[in-house]
Amino acid sequence: MYLNEIAQGVEEGQAKRVASLVSQAVEEKTDVKVILDSLLDGMSKVGKKFKNNEIFVPEVLISARALNYGLDIIRPILTDTGVKPIGKAVIGTVQGDLHDIGKNLVKMMLVGAGFEVIDIGVDAEAGAFVDKACEADADFICMSALLTSTMAHMKSVIDLLCERGLRDRFIVMIGGAPVTARYAEEIGADHYTADAATAAELAREVLGKKS
Amino acid sequence: MSFNTKQWLDSLIGDKPAGALPILSFPCVQLLGISVRELIFSDTYQVRGMKAVADRTPSLASVSLMDLSVEAEAFGSDVRFFDHEIPCVTGRIVTTEEEADALRIPEPGAGRTEIYLRAARKALQVIRDRPVLAGIIGPFSLAGRLVDVTEAMILCYENPELIKKVLDKAASFLIAYARAYKREGVHGVIMAEPLAGLLSPALAHEFSEPYVRRIVDAVQDDGFVVVYHNCGGSTVRMPDSILATGCGAYHFGNAVSMREILKYFPRDTVVMGNVDPAAQFVGGTPEGIRAETRRIMEECHDYRNFVISSGCDIPPHAKWENIDAFFEAVAGFSSGGAAGAPE
Repeated sequence: MYLNEIAQGVEEGQAKRVASLVSQAVEEKTDVKVILDSLLDGMSKVGKKFKNNEIFVPEVLISARALNYGLDIIRPILTDTGVKPIGKAVIGTVQGDLHDIGKNLVKMMLVGAGFEVIDIGVDAEAGAFVDKACEADADFICMSALLTSTMAHMKSVIDLLCERGLRDRFIVMIGGAPVTARYAEEIGADHYTADAATAAELAREVLGKKS
Repeated sequence: MSFNTKQWLDSLIGDKPAGALPILSFPCVQLLGISVRELIFSDTYQVRGMKAVADRTPSLASVSLMDLSVEAEAFGSDVRFFDHEIPCVTGRIVTTEEEADALRIPEPGAGRTEIYLRAARKALQVIRDRPVLAGIIGPFSLAGRLVDVTEAMILCYENPELIKKVLDKAASFLIAYARAYKREGVHGVIMAEPLAGLLSPALAHEFSEPYVRRIVDAVQDDGFVVVYHNCGGSTVRMPDSILATGCGAYHFGNAVSMREILKYFPRDTVVMGNVDPAAQFVGGTPEGIRAETRRIMEECHDYRNFVISSGCDIPPHAKWENIDAFFEAVAGFSSGGAAGAPE
């Protein structure tokens, strides 16, 4: 069966092979949930290897690209058949900060963990995080910052949530090179994680507890 | 007067800590009362800033601005400027093989590099008690800014030929730029290659090391050193590749343990690092940075080739009370004032 090969293709970052195998599985009327699980299984292995320093950022990037090739094929079927993501997250790099590698890695790991991720890009204002999270009915707001001068904008997002009476509606996760668990506590964020793989694991765990 | 940079580096190796060499330039904006934007567009401010830092601190060398947008801007990249933060390259100027082929290698002096070269020349006239090192970007980090940082890493797998074409041009420019600094009389460059720190050892070996080596072979001699800086977390897994660059000294970030990385480097080669710029210099306290500086120095004190430094470029808004406390801790340690200090 193709399913192990799909997972392996994601793990090895073989985007075209993954697309071909997924197309074949769809043509053969394989349960779309099973195909999805194969894709996510491959990405989950990538996350573990990355966390254990067995692979590096470029390998994660090409695996994520392979995952997306597969997801793009099955997404319409997932929608038609009512298969829902395990949760939704709005992610962005905060205002004044144009760095996106960390944010992209977390996004890839969240997608690989079965989340729908709405990426609002870099240099995102507080209002953009809050508005998009409301619009998408997200579970998480994930913020990234690489600069010590811009990480202060994470607090602006939390302040805006409080101001609008929305603080309890979203789980706020933060990360980035200068960010620490102490800082998360100081500004009232719910969680800090030091790396992308842990962020995805924690998001799954937190959502499991919430539901 | 000719200065033998190699001898100076050798003199830093010894039983007693020689002092500190943090990558310290941008916080001069606070001493001058100007914005980062004013600093990066003015050689006069840059010289005044370097002099102000040199007057205030006993840093082993004076380091010019570590502005990693200036080389990409010379190639034609768009740069976004801020009042209180270091400039940042936006967008990408190479997406196809044709664009890579057509990419023109700029002359040293293009864009703001002219301001930076002039600042270095003037700095040498006013800072005469220590070497002056210029900050430049490394080849893979520059190529990443030209093709997009994320894309550069994907291209290593999906189109290595394209990224190598860009790397080739990046290295050619950096050789010319470093030579221009050398002509001005600067004593060396600190070459920041942080993007290579995200690569696997195999990819770093293929996409960073040979290009750094080319630059080193072209410019380094007894009077001019290339200091390799990489603040990535993968560095500890690629010491052979880093050493193969042939740089005169090495500088690492706080993503790795200094004691761990020192194990891999010859005892006659200066290795520097790695007090956390964000947590300690910006977000810390004088007490905290003193303790952290002492901790690293104690941990590494049996390595005679270790020189304490910041883990990366110190941000513009770092607190001067913390910078001063860092130097105080080094001085205290050097005079045997810390437990575990070598006699």
